[in-house]
Amino acid sequence: MLLRAQELNLWLPTGLFWKTLMQYPGGAATWLATYLTQYFYHPWLGVSILCILWLIICLLLAFVYKLKGPWTMLTALVPMALLACIVQTGYWIYYQKLPGHLFIPTVGILFVTLCLVVQRLIDKSLPAKAAMWAHFVWMTLVCIIGYPFFGAWALGATALLGVSPLTASPDGKEKGGLKSSFPLWGVRWWLLILYAILLITVIPQLYYQHIFGMTERTFVYAAAMPCFRYSKDSFEIFRLPYYAIILAFTILALVSAGESSAFNKRLKAQVKSIIALSLLFIAIIGVRASWYHDVNFQKELAMNRAIEELDWERVLTIARDGSSDIKPTRQMVMYKNLALFRLGRAGNEMFNYPEGATQQNAPWKVRMTQIGAKLIYYHHGKENFCYRWCMEDGVEFGWKAETLKFMARTSLLNREWTVARKYLNLLKKTTFHRAWAERYEKYLATPDAFDLEKLEASAKAGKPLLDEQGMKEFAPILHMMTYPDRLDGDNSLVEMYLIQTFGKGNGDDPLFQEMTLIGALYMKDIDLFWPRFMKYATTNPDVHMPRHYQEAAYLYGHLENKVDISHMPFDQEVRDTYERFMKFNEQCGLMTEEQKAIAFYPQFGNTFYYFYFLVRNQKTN
Amino acid sequence: MTEKKKRQWPLWAVVGLVLFHIILFAATGKAIFGSSAKVPSSFTETNDLPTIYPDYVGVTVPANIAPLHFHIDHDSEATDFVTRLTAGSESWALSGDDVRPGLKKWHKMVDMALAAEGNINIEVFIKREDRWLRQKPFQITVSTDSIDPYISYRLISPSYVTYEDLTLNQRCLENFDESLIYGNMINSDEENGQCINCHHAQWYNPNRVQFHVRQHLGGTVIAYDGKVQKIDLKTDSTISAGVYPTWHPTKPWIVYSTNNTGQSFHTRDVKKIEVQDTKSNLIFFDLESNTVTPITRDTTDFDCFPFWSPDGKYVYYVSAHWERRDTINMDFELIQNYKEVQYNLYRIPFNEKDQTFGPRELIYDAVARNRSVTLPRVSPDGRWLMFTEGQFGVFHIWHNDADLFLMDLTQAQPVEPTHINTYDRHRLSEYLLPPDANNLQREIIADSLREEQGLRTPLPAHIRNITEINSPDVESYHSWSSNGCWVIFSSRRDDGNFTRPFIAHHDGNGHFSKPFELPQDNPQYHRQFMRSYNIPEFLFGPVTIRPQEFASVIKKDATKAQLKIK
Repeated sequence: MLLRAQELNLWLPTGLFWKTLMQYPGGAATWLATYLTQYFYHPWLGVSILCILWLIICLLLAFVYKLKGPWTMLTALVPMALLACIVQTGYWIYYQKLPGHLFIPTVGILFVTLCLVVQRLIDKSLPAKAAMWAHFVWMTLVCIIGYPFFGAWALGATALLGVSPLTASPDGKEKGGLKSSFPLWGVRWWLLILYAILLITVIPQLYYQHIFGMTERTFVYAAAMPCFRYSKDSFEIFRLPYYAIILAFTILALVSAGESSAFNKRLKAQVKSIIALSLLFIAIIGVRASWYHDVNFQKELAMNRAIEELDWERVLTIARDGSSDIKPTRQMVMYKNLALFRLGRAGNEMFNYPEGATQQNAPWKVRMTQIGAKLIYYHHGKENFCYRWCMEDGVEFGWKAETLKFMARTSLLNREWTVARKYLNLLKKTTFHRAWAERYEKYLATPDAFDLEKLEASAKAGKPLLDEQGMKEFAPILHMMTYPDRLDGDNSLVEMYLIQTFGKGNGDDPLFQEMTLIGALYMKDIDLFWPRFMKYATTNPDVHMPRHYQEAAYLYGHLENKVDISHMPFDQEVRDTYERFMKFNEQCGLMTEEQKAIAFYPQFGNTFYYFYFLVRNQKTN
Repeated sequence: MTEKKKRQWPLWAVVGLVLFHIILFAATGKAIFGSSAKVPSSFTETNDLPTIYPDYVGVTVPANIAPLHFHIDHDSEATDFVTRLTAGSESWALSGDDVRPGLKKWHKMVDMALAAEGNINIEVFIKREDRWLRQKPFQITVSTDSIDPYISYRLISPSYVTYEDLTLNQRCLENFDESLIYGNMINSDEENGQCINCHHAQWYNPNRVQFHVRQHLGGTVIAYDGKVQKIDLKTDSTISAGVYPTWHPTKPWIVYSTNNTGQSFHTRDVKKIEVQDTKSNLIFFDLESNTVTPITRDTTDFDCFPFWSPDGKYVYYVSAHWERRDTINMDFELIQNYKEVQYNLYRIPFNEKDQTFGPRELIYDAVARNRSVTLPRVSPDGRWLMFTEGQFGVFHIWHNDADLFLMDLTQAQPVEPTHINTYDRHRLSEYLLPPDANNLQREIIADSLREEQGLRTPLPAHIRNITEINSPDVESYHSWSSNGCWVIFSSRRDDGNFTRPFIAHHDGNGHFSKPFELPQDNPQYHRQFMRSYNIPEFLFGPVTIRPQEFASVIKKDATKAQLKIK
């Protein structure tokens, strides 16, 4: 997931990128978070950075809250909550609109902690009265200067500074100490709290009125915080780790406040350790409970990665994996079908794999257009539709390395060199995608390579215009692009659109033509099937007719007598399976269709007969 | 001892201060020291012009334009760069591949140029393999014709259906300051999205502007001399609320088109999107009485993009005639036959006394030429009419054959429509065209063949393709400066996908200088920018109403306009 998360992230070292983020309060936090997220390109590196930051946070918190002995362990509660913020992500990696959302809580908490550290240093180094005024000034600065850069995290820091006298018990070495400046429950203490509330309430509104003309009025208090809303629904459960952060700080503050109490002094170190360890244990249970586990999510990510690497066999290995009883999502089925097609095995194996239409495990309806459609369209030669969904995605969820990569490649295939260069140049500015961009930039020098006829001629002459990797990636797509232009739309139904458009399509290119046959097969449309079947047979005279195409022809020949199949050389296995299927059907005459689907599956699940009669109303998204 | 300690700075403060100064020095150092350079004393001359972005070679600019910063495109063998800019007797040398003279130097250059022959001469020196080469020098001509100080535009990703972050912006042309007029995110959330479009000012006046808000909190926002209101222009007798607006030059009247618009997607063509109207008419809106009066109501004519002439006597607009032939769904029929929807240029006279419109007059029969026009815009002196012409449709920003044309209105007379059988016209391209030509080339060849065979009328003498500002890619939206000396127009010539504003000087006789792209402080800004500029229009000054003020008006209920039938 971390690897994919950085593909769905973008950080650019440009003034424009900074300016774009700073249009909203909290822009610096998102800038830093997107910067750090890119290190997940090497997951070990990103995780190491995350761990180092968490360690720093722990050390600083121990300093801020003056925790000693076993209580120091409690600082780990904060990283625990931060970990929960990350591990709960799941499908939010596609839907979260806040750039750098995986790192944002860590960056925000680091900022908050640093604000407290500065306060602590002021407290340590100034006499009581000066410390009091310095405290007011620092709190004001944190809110006023911090807000445009860190958004709601600056408000959080202000709140903690407002209550910090509660925890600021002087330890012998300090000159003043906030506790003596702001005696608990005294007028000054209340004034400080009221002032903090005033700052938190008023400053975002002032920024709204005068600076940030792009932020909704109520959202100013949640700026730079992830928003767990999609469309009309709000998913409050995902906020729990953020409440856990608040709880962790409350625990630290309370422990710190009670540090000098008689009760605390009476507590033995072992008892403190047990309390601290118990709290940590509860936190671990909380993290485990929030951890997103979903087999299909993991498989989708793995298949996506395999397709990006053009490792089609790996896609099939993942599709075959039967370690879970959960049926696949349509996206997984489409990835599998694409892999089979690319390996030239679709006609023999397309029904050999588990079918399914399991909804993605998310509390909202996950749409294929928003997760895997770009990849699917790209490899099916629907470059404009791939480009379209990249653009839609960029507009709605922000620009990502992944979308720029697709846009660069579709622009190459569409022979739009200048705009391809634009996207490649942007990618070249990133820290980790530069090499990728430079590899594809080379293709700009060979525009003829994207003309299928010229590419094939060059390959035949032994001097292919593309390198091996380019041939492997682009040549099949160019074959799939051999169809005339027309106006169309997918209505966000990727699979349905592809089946229909190929099923009703007509082309001379062998690869494209086979896809039209597969489309007709999926549509179960007999009239569409026969011309495509005949064309396949005549254009591939040396190829043994794949099993599923034979099955369809044999079945349709029996269902309707429009085409004479008596002279067709069907495999004996195809005939036998058909006979067995029909006989079994007679035996199961009284069963409902649902019962038949279960009963037939072990014997006939891998046949077109089963698909034709017993796979119905397959939902797609 | 205590006194001494009190004066000591804490270590963290000293470290912080030092770090702050290092960062400050790093940030400003280049600007202070890196920009000046020494012109090489020995060099080899080449005959090649430097490849710069934006292309400012030989352009004419107004004296009050922002500095023309540019980037020198080069390969990896070029190691050093010096650019000398000379105006009058003074020269400035700048180093680096980004040539950014800055505001102060630029103003000095412009003043010196105007005091001399009017040119800024530019020499680019490039160092390769330890040898300096001087590229062929070029000039930027400074015109004494000033330009309106502000432009407004919408920034939008060239997207298809979704919209998230849309802004109406204004930019001071005299420097690089850009500010927000209104951004939709201020009134949007996850559930309630908002589209904003069609901003337009009355005679360049920033105090009299209007724009539309669609979907969430929808309505037409009209700011008129300090009063901001939101109006619902939809009535039971009109197709939609107001869409494409045109203000009367002086009165509080606006003519809108009302449209039913849809879009579909090209599966292979790089044009990518086709935006089509399935219905469109014109309405007249009186701001004082808050009334809407239909002007045209014919369902077989799609009337669109009205523009009020500067004298207020005519409204120019474009119209396509479409009669339904099949029994299938109207939208689907139009999508299938999208290339047959072609727009002519019309005008209707306006009587200011009783606020009525006369019968329409065909001014340019583009359909007879197998062309389709859109966006008529009359120059402030009323002599010239600029429009966009493509092969079909009305939304030419997605048509890469779209070019700007100019009509001399002193020669324009109402014409009778020429009836040409569209079937014959389209059949021609099936068998006479070279198979290896691309779509655009095929259309050009087909049109010339059609003209030879009388299937297409020639371009009238008082209309011309403004070849000096057109490019092989899209040119679309355009507007005149208030003095008629400049036009700003949208073009996708940079990369075919993202629209950028270009400005060209008009000599008053229907001829233009080479256009220049809107200058940016970072010359490569547009290469990185992922949004398009939509509807660039000149303004006398900035819109002073803040986005938050617009936002609070938009939050309120819209005032319903009343239907008035004459």
